[in-house]
Amino acid sequence: MSDKGSYSRKATRRLVLGAALGATLAYGGFAIAADAPPHLLETGSTLLYPLFNLWVPDYTKAHAGLEITTQGTGSGTGISEAISGIAQIGASDAYMSEAQMKKTEGMLNVPLAISSQMINYNLPGLNDKNLKLSGPVLADIYGGKITMWDDAQLKAMNPDVDLPHQTIIPVHRTDGSGDTFIFSQYLSSSTPSWSSSVGFGTTISWPAVQGGLGAEGNPGMVNAAKGNPYSIVYIGISFKNATSAAGLGEAMLQNKAGKFVLSSKETVSAAVAATADKTPTDERLSLIFADGDNSYPIINFEYAIVKQQQPSPDMAAAVREFLEWAIKPDGGNSAQYLDQVGFVPLPPAIAKLSATQLASIK
Amino acid sequence: MPADQAIPVITMAAPSGSRLLRRRITSIAGWALTGSALALLSSAMIWILAMVFVRGVGAISIDLFTTVTQGNGGGLLNAIEGTVVLSFGALLLAVPFGLAAGTYVSEYPHGYWAPTVRFLADILVGVPSIVLGYVGYVTMVDWLGWNFSVAAGSITVAVICLPYICRTTELALQQVPGSLREAAFALGASEARVIFSICLPAALPAVLTGILLALAISVGETAPLLYTAGWSSYMWNGQLTHSPIGYLTYAIWTFINEPFETAHRLAYAAALLVTTFVLIVHVVSRFVFDRHRQ
Amino acid sequence: MRFKTGLAVAAGALPASLVLIILFLTIYAWPAILFNGFQFVTSNTWNLGNLYSDPVMVNGVQISPGAHYGILFLIVGTLLSTIIALLIAVPVGVGAAVFLAEAVPGRLRLALSFFVELLAAVPSVVFGLWGYVVVIPFLGHYLFPFMISVLGFLPFFGGPPGSGYGLLTSGVVLSLMIVPLIVATLRDALVSQPAEAREAVTALGATKFEVVWKVLLPSQSRVLIGASILALGRALGETMAVLMVSGNALNYLPGNIYTPISTMAAFIVSQLDSALQDPTDMAVKSLAEIALILSLISLIINFLARILLSFEKQGARRATFA
Repeated sequence: MSDKGSYSRKATRRLVLGAALGATLAYGGFAIAADAPPHLLETGSTLLYPLFNLWVPDYTKAHAGLEITTQGTGSGTGISEAISGIAQIGASDAYMSEAQMKKTEGMLNVPLAISSQMINYNLPGLNDKNLKLSGPVLADIYGGKITMWDDAQLKAMNPDVDLPHQTIIPVHRTDGSGDTFIFSQYLSSSTPSWSSSVGFGTTISWPAVQGGLGAEGNPGMVNAAKGNPYSIVYIGISFKNATSAAGLGEAMLQNKAGKFVLSSKETVSAAVAATADKTPTDERLSLIFADGDNSYPIINFEYAIVKQQQPSPDMAAAVREFLEWAIKPDGGNSAQYLDQVGFVPLPPAIAKLSATQLASIK
Repeated sequence: MPADQAIPVITMAAPSGSRLLRRRITSIAGWALTGSALALLSSAMIWILAMVFVRGVGAISIDLFTTVTQGNGGGLLNAIEGTVVLSFGALLLAVPFGLAAGTYVSEYPHGYWAPTVRFLADILVGVPSIVLGYVGYVTMVDWLGWNFSVAAGSITVAVICLPYICRTTELALQQVPGSLREAAFALGASEARVIFSICLPAALPAVLTGILLALAISVGETAPLLYTAGWSSYMWNGQLTHSPIGYLTYAIWTFINEPFETAHRLAYAAALLVTTFVLIVHVVSRFVFDRHRQ
Repeated sequence: MRFKTGLAVAAGALPASLVLIILFLTIYAWPAILFNGFQFVTSNTWNLGNLYSDPVMVNGVQISPGAHYGILFLIVGTLLSTIIALLIAVPVGVGAAVFLAEAVPGRLRLALSFFVELLAAVPSVVFGLWGYVVVIPFLGHYLFPFMISVLGFLPFFGGPPGSGYGLLTSGVVLSLMIVPLIVATLRDALVSQPAEAREAVTALGATKFEVVWKVLLPSQSRVLIGASILALGRALGETMAVLMVSGNALNYLPGNIYTPISTMAAFIVSQLDSALQDPTDMAVKSLAEIALILSLISLIINFLARILLSFEKQGARRATFA
């Protein structure tokens, strides 16, 4: 070893140690000295995610210093993270169960808007036709009893459509999903055999269907349908642009009155009018399978799951004010936002109930 | 060897023409097959790099490095910063402990502790990263109440990096000739002095290789961070707990699933950044620091 | 002496981490282990139960009505995808290692080996991205239908080509991730064979290929097995890539190689938020049980591999062929 060699090694060592020390100090110093503006985490339903992404930029622009991070992770995550306090706002298409409400005191289920769900499919050549489907038929498809598109029941419901002799690929959600919740509620309400065997929930034990796929999130469902001819999926209305862009077909669903209806503002509003006045004060109500000739059968309240007791008054005020803005007809509930995602605003009576719940956040 | 193939060897007479031809053909076929195996792997690598670069380059813009993620679009500044913060934090924890472990195992190999540490380090490598993420979620995010945080994320990734740094440090120190140590001891240096002033500096390139490789691993991790660091659309506010943070691999995993073109671009851009960084780290560590390997 | 002790204590961070993880998982999952019993690994039904009804008491434990945790399809999915990955990675890896060690000249060998080994450096999620965006459409629309038309008579090779998401796709992606391990280990072992071994057999009239194929390679069989087992261990724990290409099957076993599957690691990721919904916590504990089983399998496999490889290191100092 020459002197030069040992000198440069010494220098390198000093340099490395010095850099490490300096960086550590900087890292630690930054951590200690930094200030924390209120930072809200909203996580949950992928159906509500596009709407939150419309609300948050406008709202935070008007309220400097407030930071809101949005995530589309699934209603199940929204509920559980709101319960554990990891997220301040849990977005969910499903209300909390009785058992969950009992286990965790002080949780609020606050409807923010009203959404609906589409049944989409990918039938090459037929995606511009609106196939007629019913709850019992869908239950049989997802139950593995109807396996081919040209099955007798489907043909009987759609006599003028040339259905192909191909295997149906039913796609379900793998994550805890409010869409699964309302879809399975539709199947349960319309089909007694499904209700007694599988039931409803954000996660259910899907009957084994060979070739059935699982997808993550509404976007995953769109991609799965797009990539798999002869598949059938359930997708939230806020992804209508995506399903149209992907060229998927949408089904007309049979409602409680026996009529086949397509999702639209009119059919959703008709269903709301028929059920919403039954809403209790804790606002946990299913709007599925409503009465009325023109009612669309799969509609639901979109919930913000929030803890009544927030960690600090600042946090509580931030959460409360944001959600109060969200349900205002001239705020978040205006057509400017809701039309972009195909949602319907809360009827005034429901908005009042929501406001009452929000006022209790402290 | 089968009897009929032993004959050309023993008799040393002119080998039977057709058998030799068959062996030659088999050999050529053998090289062709093995060559195509290599070609298969090379083309897979090229295919992956091509997808990452072609789609990623189209998504690169100045905005990417100057704006944060907004909903389904925006930039990646928060994710880049988050990856840096998390990886640095992980190394901050893993390097001291890993160096200590590697040094101990190399310099004090007798007794029962060193073989135990070495053995368990090898086993720790085999624990799936999702398991570590899950454990991190339940213990740090939930029970300790840290919520999604830099602390939880860094600690989890540090545990992943620890065995690699330990192993590479041990191997690096083993390359240092014993005569160096003996000379230092003969001059009256203490054990600590020998290690810190003589052995580690001599092994520095190889040790740095190990640290760089651990850095590459931490930049590429996804599953454990999903459950410990969460995600944030904002720059880091400096808090070690109770504040989630963004990172590039989240963008790859989540945004590719959104049906929005803006989100896809972010996913490809993030994939490009992560892959490029990891490749550069490997190239630098192999060709700059690790010149002694074959 | 204090220095050595200090170092030894710091070194203890490693064993401590491992022990804590296993201990934590065991303690946390214990109620689930007791409740699920042995049929956890033999039953094919993963059912969280009716989360919207009140919990009921079964065998002295609170669970959601109808809850039943069985992971047979996960075990089958994990094993099959890993086996297929090895079936692809070992021949391809051996072939590439042989070619690199014997047929490629010095400097090019360095560069080419490094290039192929970079496959191991690509993060799992980028592999998943590549698989999802590029490979699945290719496989589902072109390769699988072709394979069915040509190989469809073989068992498990026929049947509907599916969507491209599935067992074979997972196996292919996994194989690319683990093959560098085999290539690097084997190539190093072949290159380090003493020249005398090659010269002796060449003098007997063997072709260059025969030298490798019939003599050098068989003597490295233990190294190969060790590396393959290490590769197996890595494949078992792969999460993100498999999650994006496997199709996420639930409660059924694959009927052919193109069918969707689920693996244990990917299942934990996709089911965690559903499990968190269960007010009785039995679902998360059952997921922890899956994590525990996965870790134990990984540990045993790595243990076996290390033992095999350590024997080889000692054996390498003796005669190397036959």
